[in-house]
Amino acid sequence: MNTNKLSTIQKDCAEATSGSIHLLSKLKDECILITGGTGFMGTWLAEMVAFLNDNHSFNSKLILLSESSQNFIVKAPHLAMRDDVELIECDIRNVMEISNEVSYVLHAAANPDNRMHASDPIRTMNVIANGTDAILKASLRLPSLKNILNVSSGLIYGPQPLDLDAIAENYHGGSDCGSVASAYVEAKRFAETLCSAYRSQYKMSIVTARPFAFIGPYQLLDKPWAINNFIRDSLMGGAIRILGDGETIRSYMYPSDMAFWLLRILVDGTSGLAYNVGSPHGIALQQLAEEITHNFTIKPKIISNFAGGRDLYKSRLVPDVTLAQKSLGLSMKVDIAEAIKRTLLWYK
Amino acid sequence: MVAESNKTQKLKVAILGSGNIGTDLLIKTLRSPLLECTLFIGRNLSSQGISKAINLGVKVSDLSIDAILNDPDCCDLVFDATSALSHKKHADILKKLDKMVIDLTPSNIGKMCIPAVNLSNCLKYKNVSMVTCGGQASIPLAHVIGKTYDTVDYIEVVSSISSRSAGPATRVNLDEYIETTEKGLKDFSGCKRTKAILNLNPAIPFVDMQTTVFAKVDNPDLEILIPAIDEMVKNIQKYIPGYELIVPPIIENKRIVVMVRIRGLGDYLPAYAGNLDIINCAAIAMAEEYAKKIHTNGE
Amino acid sequence: MPRILISDSTLRDGSHAISHQLNSHNISIYAAAAEAAGVPIVEIGHGNGLGASSLQLGESLISDMEMLQNARSHLVNSKLGIFVIPGFATINKDLSMAIDMGVDVVRVAAHCTEADITERHISYARQKGKEVYGVLMMSHMASKETLIEEAHKMELYGAEGVILMDSAGAYLPNDVHEKVSALVSNLTIPVGFHAHNNLGMAIANSVTAAEAGATILDGTVRGFGAGAGNTQLEVLVAVLEKMGYRTGIDLYKILDAADIAEKEMMKVIPTIKSESIVSGLAGVFSGFLKPVNRISDKYGVDPRDVFFELGRRQVVAGQEDLIIEVAMKLAQKQEEK
Repeated sequence: MNTNKLSTIQKDCAEATSGSIHLLSKLKDECILITGGTGFMGTWLAEMVAFLNDNHSFNSKLILLSESSQNFIVKAPHLAMRDDVELIECDIRNVMEISNEVSYVLHAAANPDNRMHASDPIRTMNVIANGTDAILKASLRLPSLKNILNVSSGLIYGPQPLDLDAIAENYHGGSDCGSVASAYVEAKRFAETLCSAYRSQYKMSIVTARPFAFIGPYQLLDKPWAINNFIRDSLMGGAIRILGDGETIRSYMYPSDMAFWLLRILVDGTSGLAYNVGSPHGIALQQLAEEITHNFTIKPKIISNFAGGRDLYKSRLVPDVTLAQKSLGLSMKVDIAEAIKRTLLWYK
Repeated sequence: MVAESNKTQKLKVAILGSGNIGTDLLIKTLRSPLLECTLFIGRNLSSQGISKAINLGVKVSDLSIDAILNDPDCCDLVFDATSALSHKKHADILKKLDKMVIDLTPSNIGKMCIPAVNLSNCLKYKNVSMVTCGGQASIPLAHVIGKTYDTVDYIEVVSSISSRSAGPATRVNLDEYIETTEKGLKDFSGCKRTKAILNLNPAIPFVDMQTTVFAKVDNPDLEILIPAIDEMVKNIQKYIPGYELIVPPIIENKRIVVMVRIRGLGDYLPAYAGNLDIINCAAIAMAEEYAKKIHTNGE
Repeated sequence: MPRILISDSTLRDGSHAISHQLNSHNISIYAAAAEAAGVPIVEIGHGNGLGASSLQLGESLISDMEMLQNARSHLVNSKLGIFVIPGFATINKDLSMAIDMGVDVVRVAAHCTEADITERHISYARQKGKEVYGVLMMSHMASKETLIEEAHKMELYGAEGVILMDSAGAYLPNDVHEKVSALVSNLTIPVGFHAHNNLGMAIANSVTAAEAGATILDGTVRGFGAGAGNTQLEVLVAVLEKMGYRTGIDLYKILDAADIAEKEMMKVIPTIKSESIVSGLAGVFSGFLKPVNRISDKYGVDPRDVFFELGRRQVVAGQEDLIIEVAMKLAQKQEEK
């Protein structure tokens, strides 16, 4: 990775934590295990912890557990070779023993790629359900465990009612559990309830994060999400094609904010509670595409496939993050315009 | 002429039950110079215990008791760490196969075994049970009290364990725990009236197991009791290193009081789960004694 | 007018106050007086319930069976209740006999985070057709979220109500309001409250509980009970009636019962002594008062220090043996200085 990119990440981390380093001080000298540690989320968390170690003497140790570390070593060699980062390869479903040093567990192992949910829903559900059970069981025997963060998904709420501006954590929606399209969501919901069961039966401290959508470095552009497509389309010099209704509303958080939020929830989240993680500022896909074009001297065209005449399903997915903001002192440092700008720069 | 080295002839043991207790037992077995785990048996090949065993190079099976039925020569001794219900079934089968059985479940079918007290006597029996955690901690002390004084009116044992170390099986079997411990106290102390109490404490950091033995004796002379208890504690520490005398015998409010704390070895079970570790350590002690007997008999 | 079910623990919690030396005469006299006053439930037994007579907690003068048989003969309209802590009592040795001899109400108690140990005992009593309640002891030691979960388990086991105990007398009215309303909103069964007076809050707490939706309240006459004593029953009845609640208890007759009990059983009327204030602040079970005083005296340490240390170690009810260890350690430290 070139030094420019490295320093961008550093700057992002500094910005996300500026004025709030003390909010993570409980991480000092601790050993953190991240399952799914080499994915998008894990990589950013690793960048953040590395930043805290290098610049604020946190002296934290990181164990990144994943099915395969190969991609990570290629994608982020500067992280892979660090002394304070240990890479473990293991199918999350087979996790049986965790180092006794581990005091924080961040369980992010699950593939949010909806292409896999479509092609292999059985494996999708299996990894989430059995993987979560395995990590909880293994964590039960840790002598110094302080908290577990279960990374769930903002999708567990089911479709957001159009008249609801933003979904708060106490919204109890749902999806059609009999539909294979619900495989990922139902598995994530199962995982949340399982965490509650472990929490209640064994009095474990477990907190949940429900992430929404993110855009930034390390986010693979071939992932089938609107913003990834738009950015990829524009970088490839083509037109930005909006599939479906341009009035569909989403929101996107920049990953340095995401990493800071997740670590904050990990150390100070209240056991038994769920926290939405994402941007509360909704943006219509049409506007999003336009925002992207502002970064180009020759503006890419925007083509909407909205055929008209058909009452298309307008959807909205925007989190209410008041809980995280108020109770954990969290805020977003990077707005959507800046997030897009930085992402484009990263991928150019 | 070269004498055959006994060192290479370890007693072949199978472990039935791949949960936390069985897995912890496995690690202790592997560490023992007298025992060899030839088969680690569960019901589900994807359990964490089985994975651990595979990692340690131990042969595994998910066929439960059938694994032994299918290959009776695989072992001479079986540790049963399954459940009280399952053990009742296993006991019959293993009896027919003439295996030595050490029962770690609460079923208590076999001869109660408290290593510091009746280890060699237990060799006569093919099925020995490890009583309860509170029993292992207190019965040796109750036994000493019973031997020291002519008449012991009443013995009572209170154990406190960490809530975290009391799993669903313990919780649903509290009554059985109490009744079995009380019986063990009677049998080993000779005292006709006994009582056992169990407290679960949810405090964090997790508390170690602590056991208090009370006894009602008319005008007891502590001078003879104190060294006897000391000696017994030393004996227990040979197979349970984490067993510590924290209040040597005193008389308080007209009762003899002795307190011990048990810290686990932390092999697989966490160290605060001294209540689980004490049973495993006692089971290993019994198995090793059996191994020694076999060697002496030249079998 | 809303109804409050009063459960009278004079002859159970009161046992703590006299080192479990309740005799047959005490029981006869008070049971008769409570029956006359129309007290709905009269709870009888050792301070820690059935099967708790022990060297750990203090031995009862007379056996559980004797106490119950005695009381049974005097209680016709009033119900005979017992208190059971799994881990102390077993179904075979204790509960089955008490039920067979005819108790009406069974209250099964566990430390506030350990409700699952009550499953078998609650089920057993329900199957035998008895009125069964779940009790969460030392409930100041758990958050309202935990209490909701634990109470819910008891509800699923068949408990017909759940009583939150302030066994240490540690609650302030706000705590009561928070926890009682949480349970009231989340359970479909009635919620009760059992207060102790270590911080002088028993009546206030009981009233707060009622206002927050509790429909079962415990008390003892003259507050006769562990440590600083319980909610003073006759005062509670007077206050509740004045506030517009119905207790079904005859005022004069309960006042008489209190006078009788005082004359009959109480060498000392409960007051809030220094150690009790400390034990309330330290969150230690009120029943520890006598052994803490006795053992502290033996080792020459300040009982208040012992209470604070026990509180620091988060000891639960039933762990009286730890008092000796704590006192010894404090004595050692004192000597080293």
